[in-house]
Amino acid sequence: MKKILLISLCVTAVQMVNAQSMDLLSKGHLSGSFETYSQLYKDDNSIGAVAPPSNIGSNNFLKLDYTYGQFTAGIQYESYLPSIQDYFSTNSANALNGSQIANKYFKYHEKNFSIQVGDFYEQFGSGIVFRSWENRPIGINNATEGVNFFIQPTDFLKIKVLSGRTRTLFSYSNSTVRGADAEIDFSKWLNKKDAVNPVSLSLAGSYVSRFEDGYTGPIANYPQTVDAYSRRLNFEVSGFSLGVEYVTKGADPHVLNKQSMSTGKALLINTAYTKNNFGISVTGRALSNMDYRSEREVVSADANQLMLNYLPTLTKQQDYMTSNIYVYSTQALNESGLQADVFYNFKAGSAIGGKYGMKLSLNFSYYGALSSVDNITSIGNQNYFHDANIELKKKWSKMLETSITYQNIFYNKTVIQNPAPDVYCNVFAISNIYKYSKKKSIRLVLEDLSTKQDGGNWAAGVAEFSFAPSYSFYFSDLWNYGTAGVPYYGATNGINSGVHYFNIGGSISKNASRFSLCFGRQRAGLLCLGGVCRYVAASYGFTATLTTNFGN
Amino acid sequence: MFKRLLFSFVSMISFASFISAQDNLPNVKIKSVKKGKEVEFSSIATECKDTVLIVSFFATWCIPCASELDNINEVYKDKQKEKPFKFIAVAIDDSRTSQRVKPFINGKGWTFDVYLDINSDLKRAFEVNDIPHILIIKNNKVVYQHTGYVAGGEDELFEKVKTL
Repeated sequence: MKKILLISLCVTAVQMVNAQSMDLLSKGHLSGSFETYSQLYKDDNSIGAVAPPSNIGSNNFLKLDYTYGQFTAGIQYESYLPSIQDYFSTNSANALNGSQIANKYFKYHEKNFSIQVGDFYEQFGSGIVFRSWENRPIGINNATEGVNFFIQPTDFLKIKVLSGRTRTLFSYSNSTVRGADAEIDFSKWLNKKDAVNPVSLSLAGSYVSRFEDGYTGPIANYPQTVDAYSRRLNFEVSGFSLGVEYVTKGADPHVLNKQSMSTGKALLINTAYTKNNFGISVTGRALSNMDYRSEREVVSADANQLMLNYLPTLTKQQDYMTSNIYVYSTQALNESGLQADVFYNFKAGSAIGGKYGMKLSLNFSYYGALSSVDNITSIGNQNYFHDANIELKKKWSKMLETSITYQNIFYNKTVIQNPAPDVYCNVFAISNIYKYSKKKSIRLVLEDLSTKQDGGNWAAGVAEFSFAPSYSFYFSDLWNYGTAGVPYYGATNGINSGVHYFNIGGSISKNASRFSLCFGRQRAGLLCLGGVCRYVAASYGFTATLTTNFGN
Repeated sequence: MFKRLLFSFVSMISFASFISAQDNLPNVKIKSVKKGKEVEFSSIATECKDTVLIVSFFATWCIPCASELDNINEVYKDKQKEKPFKFIAVAIDDSRTSQRVKPFINGKGWTFDVYLDINSDLKRAFEVNDIPHILIIKNNKVVYQHTGYVAGGEDELFEKVKTL
């Protein structure tokens, strides 16, 4: 009897809570998103693919946000059943298997003021000293757990202050991160009212500090606290802009920099000029000892974990399969280089543009070592990478559009991946879209990469059939027709040339949801998205993804 | 594993079943590429009132996004004559490529307004998973969404606008 009473009491209590929470929910607003990325692996000797013990990898993310007036609260539930191959670490023993609420936050927000408690994403300047962010395809979520405060006391001053610890997988760093950033906008004093070409000028500074105690090693005066400072300038007038950021960082000995006691430095210069139908942008960057993490014990197998700063690869992100064989990855300890872009639109009706116009895009990037890591402006002789490329996109008629790309690449594989000869290669790609009826189209892509080094030549092709706006099916193949006798220095040495990396798949999009399924082979190499790369071993099998959102 | 996945789905659907549409759009700040000034997203939407507002999330490094916006740029002014609407594009380019956005859009000859969402705050507030992603807003409510792009998708979009 007592039991029944207890149970009925519990049920009533739950119902009351439910009724209350329902009442609250109906006043506010709940929204969210869901994403699953799942793979079924099979062994495949011809490409060196070895299925993990579970044969399955599945990453799942459920994000929920509740807004009530000026308040927002939310969670992110993550489920790894287990995590997909090479996701957090190339060491399969480190695969994550489990589920939990990984991020949770509460935020109060007004027009010129906000405070957030819990896990948050934030960035100072371009992120060279601090960025906490999420990049799901690459396996990055270094949200800071703590307090994040923003205030704009007057229209020309913005201040951010934060303190917390860095998320890594399902736990947090054994350290505390503190930071502040202030930006002053001088524009209001430089311009008359209703100026035609207003000048914009701002100066900013950031300070970030990481404190980690518990060092028991042999180095005397081991720094428990590592501070980093950034100074920034942004100037803009008419179509011209200039941005400069200079960063210094205290001595930060760790495994990746071989316990070096030297300090870190970085310089970033962005400049751009643009007018109608034309744009040019040039970015230069130099980095010396700038690998800045929340914990000093991070090892290279977990290269993307516990990062405090953001040092993206400043090269053009190409979409072609062969273009993605030799991709650059930032060398945070010693790097200097630049990237330049030119965009031009030959207008429709002009001599070159023709009836539908033509778009030109030129890009060049070069990266190499500094001659002295103590001098941030000393350009050295050791080359890491270059990519000179041109892309032309021309519409011939309402039905046919062609895009042509040529790339010349130099790739220092020893520095970027693993000991191997330097690679010089040329990539040529042509993509055609033929829209043969209002909703139906075919896309055909042909690519070739030619090189005398590494695994030799590659060719690739894609055929894709689309039914707008929802359905798409494709078949693709990437074929290594390397010269006989040239070994392919992939994930596993000794993979024979002549291998076909085929894929067949399709996708359905409906409103905010998208489902895709594909079957085929994945080449071993660097997978790069958002300027960050992770190494993936060769794999073979099925991949299914589903993304959706609700409550918008 | 499948039981756990199924559980995730079921809980998600039951959550979704009592969610009503958003009354207030996110007051997240985005930066106008042309004017260099920050504006609250909600104020752009409020200004449109019952005129349809189309928001396209894109990035300079996203190939299908550029194709979609190239094709929209070609026809949207003609389509506006058939039925008035406002079209804006929101770049989620982060500090890696945000400096390229202005030269990129001018070099493409795009004439609609473009905004920067450098820390993806607006993208997160609208629960956008992947780009390209389109939202249609009317009277401060999201009335239609579409994710992904294939050739001809823009025709479907403007057909949808006509019905609103």
